[in-house]
Amino acid sequence: MKQARTRSLSILFQLGGLILAFGFVTLILLSIDANPAEAFRLIWQGAVGNSTRIASVFVVWVPLVLVTCGVLVTFTAGLWNIGIEGQITLGAIFTTGVIRLFLDTPVHPVLVIVLSILAGMVGAAIWAVLAGLLKVFGGVNEIFGGLGLNFIATALNIGLIFGAWSRPGVASMSGTEPFPEAYWLPTFQNFRFSWYSIALTVVGLVVIYFLLQGTHFGLRLKAVGKGIKSAFRLGIPTWQHMLLSFLICGLFAGLAGALQVVAVYHRLIPAISSGYGFMGLMIGMLINYQAIWVAPIALFFAALNIGGIQLPIVMKLDSTLTGVLQGSLVLFILLMQGVKQRVLGNK
Amino acid sequence: MKKKLVFLVLTLVMVSALILTACQPAPEPAAEVEEPAPVEEPEEFVFGILMVGPYNDRGWSQAHYEAGEYVVENVPGTRMIYLDVVNTADRPGTTAAQLAEELVQQGAKLVIFNSDDMKDDAVEFTRNNPDIFVIHASGDTQWAEGENYIPLENMVNVMGEMEYGKFIAGCDAALHTQTGSIGYLGPLINEETRRLTAAAYLGAEYCWENYLGNDPNDLSFRVTWIGFWFNIPGFTEDPSQVAQEFINTGVDVIISGIDTTEALVEARKATSEGTPVFAIPYDYEGACDEAPEVCLGVPWYNWGPAYVRHITAAMQGTWESVFEWLPPDWNDINNRDTTAIGYLSGPGMSPAAQDWLQQFIGELAGGLNLWTGPLNLQDGTPWLAEGEVATDVEVWYLPQLLEGMEGRSE
Amino acid sequence: MKIGFNQINKHFGEVHANADITLDVQSGMIFGILGENGAGKSTLMKILSGFIQPDSGEIVLDGKAVSIETPADAIKFGIGMLHQDPLDFPPMQVIDNFIVGQRGGLILSHKDVIKAFRELQSQFDFSLDPDAYVDTLTVGERQQLEILRLLWLGARVLILDEPTTGISIQQKEKLFAALKVLAGQRKTIIFVSHKLEDVEVLCDQVAILRKGYLVGQVDAPYDTDQLVEMMFGKQIVLKELESVAQDKVVFELQDLYIEQYPLAIENVNFSLRAGEVIGLAGMEGSGQDVVLRACTGLLRPVSGRVIVNGTDLTGKNYLEFMQNGVAFLPASRLEEGLVPGLTLAEHFTVTTEDKQQLFIDKAYFRQKSEQMIEEYHIIGRPETPVESLSGGNQQRAALSLLKDSLSIILLEHPTRGLDIESTIYMWDKLKERCKLGTSIFFISGDLDEILRYSDRILVFFSGRVSPPLDSATVSLEQLGQLIGGKGWAKEFGDEETYEASTNP
Repeated sequence: MKQARTRSLSILFQLGGLILAFGFVTLILLSIDANPAEAFRLIWQGAVGNSTRIASVFVVWVPLVLVTCGVLVTFTAGLWNIGIEGQITLGAIFTTGVIRLFLDTPVHPVLVIVLSILAGMVGAAIWAVLAGLLKVFGGVNEIFGGLGLNFIATALNIGLIFGAWSRPGVASMSGTEPFPEAYWLPTFQNFRFSWYSIALTVVGLVVIYFLLQGTHFGLRLKAVGKGIKSAFRLGIPTWQHMLLSFLICGLFAGLAGALQVVAVYHRLIPAISSGYGFMGLMIGMLINYQAIWVAPIALFFAALNIGGIQLPIVMKLDSTLTGVLQGSLVLFILLMQGVKQRVLGNK
Repeated sequence: MKKKLVFLVLTLVMVSALILTACQPAPEPAAEVEEPAPVEEPEEFVFGILMVGPYNDRGWSQAHYEAGEYVVENVPGTRMIYLDVVNTADRPGTTAAQLAEELVQQGAKLVIFNSDDMKDDAVEFTRNNPDIFVIHASGDTQWAEGENYIPLENMVNVMGEMEYGKFIAGCDAALHTQTGSIGYLGPLINEETRRLTAAAYLGAEYCWENYLGNDPNDLSFRVTWIGFWFNIPGFTEDPSQVAQEFINTGVDVIISGIDTTEALVEARKATSEGTPVFAIPYDYEGACDEAPEVCLGVPWYNWGPAYVRHITAAMQGTWESVFEWLPPDWNDINNRDTTAIGYLSGPGMSPAAQDWLQQFIGELAGGLNLWTGPLNLQDGTPWLAEGEVATDVEVWYLPQLLEGMEGRSE
Repeated sequence: MKIGFNQINKHFGEVHANADITLDVQSGMIFGILGENGAGKSTLMKILSGFIQPDSGEIVLDGKAVSIETPADAIKFGIGMLHQDPLDFPPMQVIDNFIVGQRGGLILSHKDVIKAFRELQSQFDFSLDPDAYVDTLTVGERQQLEILRLLWLGARVLILDEPTTGISIQQKEKLFAALKVLAGQRKTIIFVSHKLEDVEVLCDQVAILRKGYLVGQVDAPYDTDQLVEMMFGKQIVLKELESVAQDKVVFELQDLYIEQYPLAIENVNFSLRAGEVIGLAGMEGSGQDVVLRACTGLLRPVSGRVIVNGTDLTGKNYLEFMQNGVAFLPASRLEEGLVPGLTLAEHFTVTTEDKQQLFIDKAYFRQKSEQMIEEYHIIGRPETPVESLSGGNQQRAALSLLKDSLSIILLEHPTRGLDIESTIYMWDKLKERCKLGTSIFFISGDLDEILRYSDRILVFFSGRVSPPLDSATVSLEQLGQLIGGKGWAKEFGDEETYEASTNP
């Protein structure tokens, strides 16, 4: 009885946060003389208006879900894997590297694609474990270590695009030479998304859900995250678990980065991580680290991203407005969680 | 248990939603405009522009934007829609092809891609949308003699022969430098930027030697590439810093090859601090307004007339896939209705130089071709023998900078 | 000042922490409030001192109903509260702490304040150095400072919540003397405790709370059995304990040298026999916690050896100690002992070694935790998060998580904050394990507990460790002297003399 009541109350508070966030964005829109109803309608239409747009939403959904799955693991271990952006980038770099390696060899493209995705996962995992090692043995907070590694990853990526991997005679932000179509993950009809990406994502989602909800490993990670000293005292090897959580998160970030290369851009571009890492962290916070909500909330964020493109085309508004909406959603829902604790907790 | 169930149901719902929507036949944009376009003119022809930079960048993108406005003024029944900052750093997760589709969704029947960097996307989009007309500004895929020829019925390539503008800019710079040191603020490196930079160098050399009678070895011409057409913090080098670096190492005229006006700003700053420095911006006729007193002039693009021609052709059914590399109108290189490129003198230009420059433009109009040998590539390999004149293909695909220029070739 | 509680009610969720409490406290008396943990004592005092508001009922001061909404209000009415953990501002000097919280009025010069401070503390025979830093004071000294500060702020009513926890016997005596002086000055003292012996010697009158209800009020002198019965609703008899130590040595410290700023502990030599209980006595910060942690691998000794069951584990980490049958129950249960946010069932899942397949067999562990909850009398359910258990239940849960076959259990303050019943239960469980050959090494600030349960005792003073004392031959007074640094020469033939001068 009591639990049911608390649960419905807490949904009420989440809804309150949602309403506040939309209210906040409405105020911004009103302050710049834009019609909020029209803006929200455009975002909605822009995301689900036709099958091409829905497909585009899923193109964004794939990396968002993978990245969020990854950060849930580090969040569970009580770690802020800010370095996720760099890990996605490294995943993309390793994937591109492997494809380039086999480009003019008789190795079958399918095998190359598989190898390159695995390489991307390994590369990102190495980068993630590096952040973990800095934390565990170097005493560098993972937030600072992660930021530093992000910086290095971006520099490395741009260095490669402008230098060693640049197109013949060209050094440009538009990225490396696109791969021949044989090395693309097959897309569905004329749409931009690939069933293989979706399948891998769903598998990832299921793995993470059961890993965190049902396994001894997941529970131990949770113990480390909730109270590292106590967990150690109860006999859990804590730093090993922290490193493992980084490793797993890295694998997911790497998969996201690899898919960006083989399924979306078919080349390496400077902004290959597309800010999905940070967005994944936001989603992780928003859903209060519950794996069950990853898929729908990531879908919502992806839809906002794609739908937001309509704002500059039709209303001449900056499309970062959807970023404001996403950010304020996180802020207000966290705020409401705080309010809820105050209201329900103390009195 | 309950949670698992919720999870499974959610996944199923989403996947099936996707299947349902995706299994419909591929979208037919013309039929699927969700809001009826204003009906007062049933014949309305909508064209869309994808701009790589901000539409008000006082540079490359604004030149295209104003060309679009020029079309609307001069071709009755047209309406423009546009999307700016189309690049993966500013619009993460999107591609130019995808954004072009969005313009089509809004009713566009013709789409202009305004950057060479969008080449792959422009081709992909053109192939996937045979009913939509495409103008790829600065592209070369419709050039049968070119190296990237991909015949596409519905695509046109347009480019102004800016090499002339850069000859003049180089000449202008050489006429004003006191230190004999010219800096070229380069964008990214590709064939286009190489040949434009080389043109500026050739113009500078010519005027330095023939008008001022100086030793060519005393002229230093240095290129620094920032990595993109404009500053993207974190991804490109900061053009302001590059400009400062030029000034700190003795450069007193900066020629800008990028789409924005940092060179002018830094030149004004240095001048006000007692070091006279001039700059020559790029792309847009109004670029000097940022800092007129230090602006020597600006080579500018005038896309309007070409766009009017092709859009009219598309509307009248006389469209033809072509590659156009358009020289200036030598009768008046700054005539907005006729020329493809021009050179507007800036307030910073000295009267003496003004006369030399007019003479130079006259010589160019009279057939002076600076792409004439002997010319060596930067690494010393001979490119053009004595008296040999470069072909269009040779100029367009210039493989390196020229001998005598400092800076990366690729 | 005369204080009246009039039908005070307070709920926390479903818990009725104070039920209709009506109580009068006359001025000039030391009034005891007695009850086991969770009886509602602290709640009632927090209501009086403005930290929380009652759901209904009123506070009457000198016949006038008042509303006390904040601790500042309480001070305005002359009510000051000393908490279990004295709330002070550690990086400050004593004298600055003393004047903190003073409102407006005339600002005295530093010199005058020091003079006033000295005069005030001389009334109570306290000897705090006004220039010392607060973080160098012992718990007892901080308490003295807090009393002085509250008096300086004009408190006419002093509430002391479990003040004798964590202070030395000397300090306790000083405290009691001071309280009696204050009562003589017509101040009202409310003394909250679960310790019968303290209440018995100190209080003029005592009110007993049980499960939120006022059970009754008794005047001194008291009948202990009656008080116990009122507290618990039943008679509790302390059983006679006997040693179950065997001859086999299970644990050895050889020439151990440990440094932990500011202490350096040298030359610790000691062996522990199977089934033996060793108590580590000393004032807090004398080095006993450092030695205990070195015995578990949580602290690496500079030199010397730690040998468990014949295996040299020197320099190994805690997990390896665990694998060799060493278990450690730290004092801060929710920081080092249990994982807040995890349920009881999850704790059993994490610590149990059977059923370690990939997926958790939730039914199995649920059943297992129900069984342990039953066996250890934990008031809670498998899905209860540990942080919402009461202190005693947390301690029982921590105990129940220990593996069955252990060589040594090391405990820090195993019964701190527990009521008598929980304490007795805790030791029953530990002694059961001793019979099976497990040895126990424990720290306690309660000398009675040390004497009662230990076979042998190690006394710590300022980083020095005594040779083992046989608990049968040591008296409480002797032990009290030793932890205060007195009598070491006489007892151990040591040349050096130790005076109680650890603090500047």
